[in-house]
Amino acid sequence: MKRNPLAEIMLVLGGLLTTAAYFMTFFWAPPTAYPDGRVDFAQKIFYFHVPVAEASFLVLIFTAYYGIRFLMTRQRIYDTKAKIATEVALFFVLLTMATGILWTKVEWGVWWQWEPRLTTYFILTLAVIGYFVLRNSTEDEERRAVYASAFGILVFINAPISFFITRWLESIHPIVFGGGKGSGLETTMLVTFIIAQVGMLMLGYAFYQLRLREEEFKERVEALKIEIGG
Amino acid sequence: MKSNSWRQFKAILRKDIVMELRTKEMVSSMGLYAILTMVVYQIALAEAGESFDVRLVMPGLIWVAFIFMSMLGLNRSFVHEKDQGCIEALLLSPVDRPVIFFAKATGNLIFLLIVEFLSLPIFSFLFMQGRAGYGNPVWLLAVVLFGASVGIAAVGTLLATMTVNTKGKDVMLAVLFVPLMYPLLRAAVGATFAAVIGGPGSVETFWAFMAWVVGYDAIMGLVAYGLYEFVIGV
Repeated sequence: MKRNPLAEIMLVLGGLLTTAAYFMTFFWAPPTAYPDGRVDFAQKIFYFHVPVAEASFLVLIFTAYYGIRFLMTRQRIYDTKAKIATEVALFFVLLTMATGILWTKVEWGVWWQWEPRLTTYFILTLAVIGYFVLRNSTEDEERRAVYASAFGILVFINAPISFFITRWLESIHPIVFGGGKGSGLETTMLVTFIIAQVGMLMLGYAFYQLRLREEEFKERVEALKIEIGG
Repeated sequence: MKSNSWRQFKAILRKDIVMELRTKEMVSSMGLYAILTMVVYQIALAEAGESFDVRLVMPGLIWVAFIFMSMLGLNRSFVHEKDQGCIEALLLSPVDRPVIFFAKATGNLIFLLIVEFLSLPIFSFLFMQGRAGYGNPVWLLAVVLFGASVGIAAVGTLLATMTVNTKGKDVMLAVLFVPLMYPLLRAAVGATFAAVIGGPGSVETFWAFMAWVVGYDAIMGLVAYGLYEFVIGV
């Protein structure tokens, strides 16, 4: 079994970058203010919430990609890869939900608001959870892989809808990038954000690779068990 | 070759219709389900009072009824195929897989539309007598019903083919179906609302929502068509 030093490097580097971004958030990036001059401290969650949210959308691309690869080649490894990508996506999705809900409580005064972005993201969360429910309730191995691949592709269609919906419809969810006047960031804020985002993607990559290796070990153990007649 | 596919399509569709005419299982269970839902709606609206404008909630109510009713029917339509080994026979016969998809989806669409067009007048009869009527011509409602049902039948046929082979069956169908249906349902309720309430600008709103419905039908229909070949083979 080959080691994957890149995954370990990414894990350490991602950990360092996200930690650095965490300190930069509080000590370097300037605080924003409400129109009436009060300091908007809740905005700090932006440096965590947006990186995990973007990561969740990006990781779902791999769910769909490996789903398509599996359907084309029928090699089990692609199904495993798609499953692990979706696991990482679920991790990011849940973090996004948790941080988002904290922010809406402070900023909008309510825990939940049926607003286009929140609604579509909630639907995405349910669909990603549904992916695993589907896997668990399909017994036949090949069938499970095919169904999961097909559903993974359908789930992925939700990701761009959720991402672009704040730009299509009237939404109270903030649009930071490319949202017309008032959007965009100061340089220090942008740098902090980019470090957090890159660190989060590195962590995502590391989680994916390490989980994949774990899965390969598991398969090897199973194979060895059969070999020695256990 | 093309006429051959057309004949296969007709044969599978005819099989579904003949079976339905003999058992009357799908339409009767879906119709009964729709009426029972309306009885429950009576409870939901019981304390709202006579002055409450039912039209405000009517689009949501009918689509809730239709979405759950459609899951019932979709599940039924594949349980038969599986229990009686019909799917295996279809796969063994030299029929193109896409033809199976179109035939099954068309069959489901027909049964769905029959029940929808029967239960909508029943809803009006039960809840809207002596109150404000529809604000726009009723044929707009028919357009939404048709447009959204196409999406329900296409995605539902794909998902029901999968879930019929899982442990949960109908529960699994709900878990997968409702999240994927959300954009379509939202647009369908929006369009229905515009058609029911009426007023200035409502027809434009209606067609804006209908564009959304058609977009969903096109994208999800194509994806479902593309994936069906893989899903039915295992």
